[in-house]
Amino acid sequence: MINCDQEASIIADRLDPLFTAQWHCQYRIDIVNNQYGSAFNFFLDIRHKDHRERSIPLHTVHATDLAVLERIVVALKKHTQLSLNFVNFGRVRWPESQRWVR
Amino acid sequence: MDYRQEPHGMFLMIDNKSFYASVESVERGLNPLKSVLIVMSEADNTGSGLVLAASPMAKKEFGISNVSRQYEVPHDSRILVVPPRMNLYIQKNLMINKIFRQFVADDDLFPYSIDESILDMTHSWRLFGKTPEEVARRIQVKVRHELGLYTTVGIGENPIQAKLALDLQAKHDDELIGRLTYDSFPEHIWPITNLEKVWSIGHRTAAHLKRLGIHSMDDLAHVNPYELRSEMGTIGAQLFALAWGIDRSQLHHIRPPKEKSWSNSQVLPRDYRVQAEIELVIREIGQQVTSRMRHHHQQAGCVSLYIGFARADTENDGRTGFDHSCRIAPTDNAQEIVVTLRHLFRKNWADQPVRNIGVGLSRLSDCRNLQLDLFQEPERQIKNDQFDRVIDGLRDKFGKTAVIPASSLMPGGTMLRRASLVGGHNGGNSFD
Repeated sequence: MINCDQEASIIADRLDPLFTAQWHCQYRIDIVNNQYGSAFNFFLDIRHKDHRERSIPLHTVHATDLAVLERIVVALKKHTQLSLNFVNFGRVRWPESQRWVR
Repeated sequence: MDYRQEPHGMFLMIDNKSFYASVESVERGLNPLKSVLIVMSEADNTGSGLVLAASPMAKKEFGISNVSRQYEVPHDSRILVVPPRMNLYIQKNLMINKIFRQFVADDDLFPYSIDESILDMTHSWRLFGKTPEEVARRIQVKVRHELGLYTTVGIGENPIQAKLALDLQAKHDDELIGRLTYDSFPEHIWPITNLEKVWSIGHRTAAHLKRLGIHSMDDLAHVNPYELRSEMGTIGAQLFALAWGIDRSQLHHIRPPKEKSWSNSQVLPRDYRVQAEIELVIREIGQQVTSRMRHHHQQAGCVSLYIGFARADTENDGRTGFDHSCRIAPTDNAQEIVVTLRHLFRKNWADQPVRNIGVGLSRLSDCRNLQLDLFQEPERQIKNDQFDRVIDGLRDKFGKTAVIPASSLMPGGTMLRRASLVGGHNGGNSFD
């Protein structure tokens, strides 16, 4: 059984030291639906003008249930306001809020 | 050449295209062949950073190679840089080999490296297709379908042909499949003039062959094998066989090494000039190797120390380092081994800055009992022996850093920072 709050807190703990809020830098959290590994992968993506883009793994949640991910995302949003980028989810809605996943 | 007596099997050599970079691409939902991604290790000893793997597009578009340094990689926002996760790659390799086992018996699968495996399909290929190419395609599709990774396949009648088909043909083929047979070997391999491209021929061997007037595989195939053997020894005979695509190795008959040994080495994060710092690392490596040996209930009768000098110094005096061994009474006691290592170091070191350190233990024998030394106090010897075993037990149970010598906290110690590395790079456990 996955404890969504705990998973979100792991992500937040790893995110905090990496998010240094530099000038001219874009930070974004990528959430990837990894169909090959049956898991959701979280990465911190850092873009600095005229620099190489960096992508740092934050966590992997071994689940395929969107409801689990929705709870983790809700908990994560309470901690950070960084934009979330959903990769490989197609056109689906969140099971609870019924909003589009995007 | 009469090939009738040679083995005629069906071997596949399968390699993952830019393995680490492909795994990272898949984890990010990117296509491994289209993404511009590099895996860069930023471990202490890689200087500013070392590219461990570059995706095919990164190689093509930006000319980045697998051993490029950080400063050689252009500052371009189209390049995605990711840290390595060695444990993840090991896991993926195990999953790939599990897929291969659906096509061959366990005994016919030979993992060759972290991203290459040899499959002896002599007895099973007909179950999976009408032609070897069809079987190769089927395996490729299965790996792609289950793991998202692209594989390159070399097909041959023996392992060497499969390896050369992989390196020289498959990697440039649209279908990522190459095939060599005894018949097609001269047509495809003999025209090669850059000998270093051929497996088993390195920079120095190629230079040696050039000195002998051998400038292509064709030349190598038509040289007098007896002369080549007298000039280069057994390697000469092997090279001649290579030029004709002959490989008589029996993969099932594993030949154990004549003498096993244990060794560890590391590249230091900077040039070490202070004797105490260098000796500290020697001690750390010495303890690490001894501990590995103790886990196999062995003791060593010979201790070797390799010291590599910093590049700047190598240019000054022409020596790249030294490598010395010393015979000792068989022991598995870390303290005794460290004392010998320190002695070897002090005897041979003349203030050169050091960048590489390696420690080896050989002349191994089984160690089931403690051999007491007549000239030392028995209680002390028993206590020393128990001390090492208690430390081993603690580390096995609670991790490598459960107990560490206080000296490892001194300047220059590398043990703590290296404890989480796998193969000298980030294991990636902290990302799971």
